[in-house]
Amino acid sequence: MIEVEHLSKTYGSTTALQDVSFAAESGEILGFLGPNGAGKTTTMRILAGYLPASQGTARVAGYDVHRDAMAVRQRIGYLPESPPLYPGMTVANFLTFVAQIKGVPAGDRQQRVNSSIERCGLGDKRQVLIRKLSKGYKQRVGIAQAIIHDPPVIILDEPTVGLDPRQINEVRQLIKGLAGSHTIILSTHILPEVSMTCDRIAIINRGQIVATDTPVNLTARLAGEGIYEVDLQGNGEQARALLSPLAQVREVALLALEGLPPGHHRLRVRGDNSATLGPEIAATLVQGGLALHQLRRQQASLEDVFLNLTTVDAGEAAPPEVAEGLSVAADDLTHDP
Amino acid sequence: MTPDRPMTYKTILAIFRRELQSYLTSPLSYLIAGIFWLLGGFFLVAILLGPQGLIAQVAQADQAAQMGMPAPQTLDVAYEFIKAYVGLLGSLSLFILPVLSMGLYAEERKQGTLELLATSPLANWAVALGKLLAVVSFYLGLVLPLMLGESLALGTASPPIRPGVFGLAHLGLLLLAASVLALGMFISSLTESTVLAAIMTFALILLLWLIDTMAQALPGLPGQAVGHLSLLKHFTDFTEGVFNSAGLVLFLSFIVLGVYLTAQSIETLRFQRS
Repeated sequence: MIEVEHLSKTYGSTTALQDVSFAAESGEILGFLGPNGAGKTTTMRILAGYLPASQGTARVAGYDVHRDAMAVRQRIGYLPESPPLYPGMTVANFLTFVAQIKGVPAGDRQQRVNSSIERCGLGDKRQVLIRKLSKGYKQRVGIAQAIIHDPPVIILDEPTVGLDPRQINEVRQLIKGLAGSHTIILSTHILPEVSMTCDRIAIINRGQIVATDTPVNLTARLAGEGIYEVDLQGNGEQARALLSPLAQVREVALLALEGLPPGHHRLRVRGDNSATLGPEIAATLVQGGLALHQLRRQQASLEDVFLNLTTVDAGEAAPPEVAEGLSVAADDLTHDP
Repeated sequence: MTPDRPMTYKTILAIFRRELQSYLTSPLSYLIAGIFWLLGGFFLVAILLGPQGLIAQVAQADQAAQMGMPAPQTLDVAYEFIKAYVGLLGSLSLFILPVLSMGLYAEERKQGTLELLATSPLANWAVALGKLLAVVSFYLGLVLPLMLGESLALGTASPPIRPGVFGLAHLGLLLLAASVLALGMFISSLTESTVLAAIMTFALILLLWLIDTMAQALPGLPGQAVGHLSLLKHFTDFTEGVFNSAGLVLFLSFIVLGVYLTAQSIETLRFQRS
């Protein structure tokens, strides 16, 4: 439904996008994830036919966004970064106007407006001036105008930005409800958003796609490594000396933590992702005469993948080794169980 | 479902309606209307009843005739009134037109709604035309009540006004306004600031005046050449009840040029956005 091939965009001497390629199948939700300034909005605008690309092609529903701009515009609903609203219009009037310019036939217009209003939970705001709506409601009107003509492809640029947690949840449910009959591409810099709503994720950083996969697979990529935290009583340095030589272990770090009882230490062990690593650590420590209090396996979250992929130095821009540089990401993160 | 491409005239109508509605809901429009009607009404009375007004001139002429002196020339009051009054409305309009056109695109750019229009299946020229029609209609709405006042004043005129003169004068006024608004719309498409758009449009109007002055001041062929390009000179012809097709062509050219430049400017915007 959406095919993007070798897309590049330069503004003067700055490169916003560099050789970006990805695709979205019909009916799927593709999450476009990246830190601010990574090129998400630029990509969305190119897909919507608002910006021309410097190089490469983008096709929506089989039409080139630049050459067949009109055909593409009929088939997309687009919510820009800031919702395009006329503050002096009422919600119903505004949506009727959008239905008109999107070419919804006069006979269907009322029904389309009503169904958009209903879907976006705007029922009691029909006759309210947009200027008087709260930010969350404005965002919903923005989504309502994107789906008013029932387009096969919906492009949402940061659909939940600036909303409170309850509104975010509602918008996510709304987006999920649209999937299946629509192909949706949404951009965000918020991780839970993609893991909760999207079928597939493209991670973009500094204008380049660094990974495209399902949330599960992306998490699995990181899980290629086993991380254990060990709490023990006794000599920390000795424990490290014992564990380091093990074949499966790659790195042992003695964590300097406040608040541990005297004589207690915590180590972080990184090693191969194998079922035998945990028991081996335990056995080694016990045989070394140390009192083992806790041994915890850590789950890699999508946040690890994201940080791992996007905090790599710009110099080595090729898809980075997932295993490398993890400690940067993992050290200060709280992990989801 | 694949939505059909909207028919162009429907697009124009949709844009027209939305734009007109935004004029009708904006407090600024009412302020402008108030000022325009106040000044328009004042000058209506002043031209007729003022110390140097037309009625006073007629009275003088009558007096002279009664005293046996030959009247300087018979005064066609109705004709003189229309010529003076519509000419004045033209000058007055030049002050308010920049304010009417300033928001046409600058506002859309500021609000981000241009992104909606630019990603909808609309031709740029159709959007521009719809907007122009809306602002010209609003302007017409400003002029109509004053025309009613004129009609009341002219109702008792003897000899009565020829409908052609009345019609041509107001057609000229409308064409002048539409030309200036079309160029103002183009200027509005160049910036996100409505204030800047208004100032630049006013500068353009000063230029029009300058051209008109040059046309009158320059002798011979250069003066004539510049005169042909002067919107205000052609407007004056219309107010004098002289139909000149060159003027009509010039006005229409300016309108088409304004719409065309606006469409081009919006298209160009896509390539320079950063």
